[in-house]
Amino acid sequence: MSSGPLARLGPPLVTFVAGVGLGELAIRALDVSPLILPRPSAVLAAALAESASLLPALAATARAVLVGLALSSTLGIAAAVALAASPWIQRAFYPYAIFFQIVPIVAIAPLLVIWFGYGSRAVVAAAFVVSVFPVIANTLAGLRSVDPALRDLFRLHRASGLAALWKLRLPWALPYLLTGLRIAAGLAVIGAIVGEFVGGGGLGVIVLGAMRQQRTDLVFAAVAYASGLGLALFAAVGLASRIALRHWHASEGDR
Amino acid sequence: MRWRIVSALVGLALAACGGEEQKLELALNWKPEPEFGGIFEAERIGAFAERGLDFARTGGPGAPVVQMVTARQVAFGIASADEVVLARDRGSDVVAVFATYQTSPQGLMTRASRGIETLAELFESEGTLAVEPGLPYVKWLEQRYGFGRLQVVPYSYSIAPFLQDPKLTQQVFVTAEPIAARRAGVEPRVFPIADSGYDPYTAVVITHGARLRDDPGTVAAFVAALREGWRGYLDDPAPANARMAPLNPEMDAEAFRLAAETQQPLIEVADGALGAMEPERWAELARQLQTLGLIGEPEPAERYFVNPEP
Repeated sequence: MSSGPLARLGPPLVTFVAGVGLGELAIRALDVSPLILPRPSAVLAAALAESASLLPALAATARAVLVGLALSSTLGIAAAVALAASPWIQRAFYPYAIFFQIVPIVAIAPLLVIWFGYGSRAVVAAAFVVSVFPVIANTLAGLRSVDPALRDLFRLHRASGLAALWKLRLPWALPYLLTGLRIAAGLAVIGAIVGEFVGGGGLGVIVLGAMRQQRTDLVFAAVAYASGLGLALFAAVGLASRIALRHWHASEGDR
Repeated sequence: MRWRIVSALVGLALAACGGEEQKLELALNWKPEPEFGGIFEAERIGAFAERGLDFARTGGPGAPVVQMVTARQVAFGIASADEVVLARDRGSDVVAVFATYQTSPQGLMTRASRGIETLAELFESEGTLAVEPGLPYVKWLEQRYGFGRLQVVPYSYSIAPFLQDPKLTQQVFVTAEPIAARRAGVEPRVFPIADSGYDPYTAVVITHGARLRDDPGTVAAFVAALREGWRGYLDDPAPANARMAPLNPEMDAEAFRLAAETQQPLIEVADGALGAMEPERWAELARQLQTLGLIGEPEPAERYFVNPEP
């Protein structure tokens, strides 16, 4: 199958245009109040008309998401390496790592503000909390699934633990880690926006303000910006994984 | 043809969640508290039943009351006058029929020990201002005084940050948070927003315009029942407070008593009927919201409200 840009972008674009068009027609035909469900055309108009406030908000949210993701990938990988060091450590600590996955971020977000103060630190913390678990879990799965034959080979050659980690286990875990990051990227956007609901700033505050002022069109426009951010991050991780893996891993071979 | 099927499905889904109500439901926008005292009193004395109204309460904190009434999922809801004007500007046909607070109970509070005496002084001070993003009165205050050196942050419905941070100012209902703060040992200085010239009717009962046209008798009976309840509550809030207290464990009996006492002058009217509204107030509010850039052209004041005739 060809992998030109048209073949790649065509199908999702067609579904997007069709979905938006159908939504527009349905909302018009049923005469739904804009307070309950705004027309896609109204959302688009708000996204353009309010770009002077939406773009700086997007930049603020994006910054918090990137810092949160940077933290969750470094700390997440470090945690996974530590957990993989021995089955005992894993048994002792892994159940608690799972906490990060199930923590109801909406419930603890106000506490983040008490701990870190208002502003970006609380927002970064919220993005980190929700995005660190997929990094830990996937990296750990990768570290544990190293081909036993290769592990024996390293042992035969008396490779040090560090060399085995650096030259075998981490590269082996890389595709897993990148999958984890893809999941983390979307979650970090959600975490940051929930963090902004209580910590202030960014698209989160625009959403709250627009709700309060009954601007459902602006609510959806802000959500669209946030989705764009999530998609861009997803694509960036996808690109990174293509570059990192294309020469040696089946998952990013010729498709 | 396909879009017809889809629109039919969407219509079915919307109809399923927005079907015509059987009971006369009133959606509250907060937990049971003296703000709704007259409603509970009306229930308690059977003012709805007496008029043949099958009444039920619903909603609560965070309920999208204006949307629920717009979609006719509920017959009545509690909103503030500025929400009514905003919603109508966005194409919704909600209409106010009863205004509990004739003077807005909204305000800002900061620590009394700071010695700040006026709103103007407050906005020149340094510190944090915790308010819900998008509140029209905050925009009004910003336009009048400017935020200066205040750091504006979202309010998250807890006075814990206020008790912790000596330089924090937060939004309040003058009947609620200041009482809680005082009882927690921090003496607040309260600045009512109404003093700044922005004074929307608050805890307003709204309904859908179509209901007013199709069934004005029911609306009038509903409002009469509410009025009877509020008269009773203002005369003696204790019985209704006792009914609300178990539904709102965060407020104890003393908090209920103090709130009911504090709100009395905001609700009571010198002459005329409780809850009745004046067109001048609505026209003024719509003009203010227009100046703030929150709505387009104001409607004639009579579109925003009705004082149902008994």
